[in-house]
Formats: sequence, C-alpha cells, structure tokens
Amino acid sequence: MGSLSTFRLMPSQIFSATEVKRLLEEGAQLVDVLGQDEFEHDHMPGAINIPLKQLDERTAGQLDRTRPVLVYCNDFG
Amino acid sequence: MSPRAASRLETLGFKRVIDYVPGKQAWYEENEPREGKAVDEIWIGDVADAEVPTCGLTERIGAVRARVHAADSETCVVVSSERVVLGLLRKSELDGDPQATAEAVMRPGPKTFRPSVTLQELLKSMRDNNIQTNSLVTTLEGRLVGVISRADAEATLAHEQSGEGSP
Repeated sequence: MGSLSTFRLMPSQIFSATEVKRLLEEGAQLVDVLGQDEFEHDHMPGAINIPLKQLDERTAGQLDRTRPVLVYCNDFG
Repeated sequence: MSPRAASRLETLGFKRVIDYVPGKQAWYEENEPREGKAVDEIWIGDVADAEVPTCGLTERIGAVRARVHAADSETCVVVSSERVVLGLLRKSELDGDPQATAEAVMRPGPKTFRPSVTLQELLKSMRDNNIQTNSLVTTLEGRLVGVISRADAEATLAHEQSGEGSP
C-alpha cells in the first residue's frame, strides 16, 4: 500500500500559523497571490507577490523549484 | 484564490506546494507580524497590555483581588489553561465575597476585539458604545493578547496624530 502522498491529487493544505512558521523554518517560500496594491498595503513577512492573474511560467521562474512553496490569499476564497 | 494558485503551481512543475487555507487575515488575527504600508498603522495587537492580571475559574476572589490590586489594576480576565478568555471580573465582582470562585461571579463571554483591528476602529467602537473600561484583545482562537483601556487608546492615538509617534 502506498503512502497518502502517493495518491494525493490536490496540493497540501495547512490551517495554522504554527504550521506556517514550521514550514518557513524548513525553507519554504511564501507567495502572496493577491493583487499588487493589497500586497503593498500589507502582507505576511518575507512573502513575495505573484498575483494569481499573473501566475505563469515566467513569473513562477523567480521561485526555487527545489524548495516548498507556501501560497496564501486573504481568506477561504 | 490560493487553492487555484497552488494547483497552477503544480501544473507548472512544482513538486511541493502548500496552501495556507485561512490566509493572511487569520495570520494577523493570531497577532503575527506584518510587512508593508500597514506597519505604519497602529493595530491594537501592537499596543495591548499583555500584563493584565488573569486567573483561573476555580480561584477564590479574595486571592484574585490581592493580585489585581498588587498589579494596580481594576480588572482580571478569567482564562483557561490555554489562556482562552472565559470571563471578566470587574471591580464590583472583585469587591464581593472573597470565598466565591471566579467562575461563580465572573461576567461570561465578554466582548473581544481582534489584534488586527486598528486603534482608530477600536476607539470609534468605544466612543459609539460609550465604553470607558478595558477592551479585551484576543486571537482568532480566543486566546488573550492583552487589554486596552479607553484612556490609553485615546492617549496613544492623540500622541500618534500629533506626529510624536514612532516612525
């Protein structure tokens, strides 16, 4: 029988700030997918901004493919 | 929005993508830090007094009163072992039967505010509702961050608006 990750069809989800901090300590990259204006007003420390509408091969090129990527927006949207 | 971004990143070949489902508002409501222009705003989590006296449900009012007076305070927040707010003891409860437990006399379910509320928003609420006493600041999960008195809120905002606040 394979591990759960073998059968994972969707990206992982986390729900707590504690898990966010743990992942960042492990080297995850934090990506804010909201618009630029909202990002400039406030964002989580260390995040980079790649608005969802601009997310493509080129903009994703600034991310390190060898490290986990942690994405967020502003709610369950 | 973030679930779609996470899926898109996987289609772009990223092997480990994680979606922080509650998002940044939940992060702020846990009193975690922020970057951007909003660091120039005063959020109540930044200025809440975390040294407010607290007690457990089973503590006797007599012992609690002594601690509250020693802290030069007039209120005590009743909390769980995880510091989740359960009730509030004001002067009238603290001046009551010293043998009563906090649980028996506390005001249950006090109104609380989240850390990411701006000081201006809190003051407006206090003024609109004629609140002169302490307001409690709690995280998304109900844990006590601290308290802000009406007087401290007014003074802090006046200081900031006078241009004497920190940059």
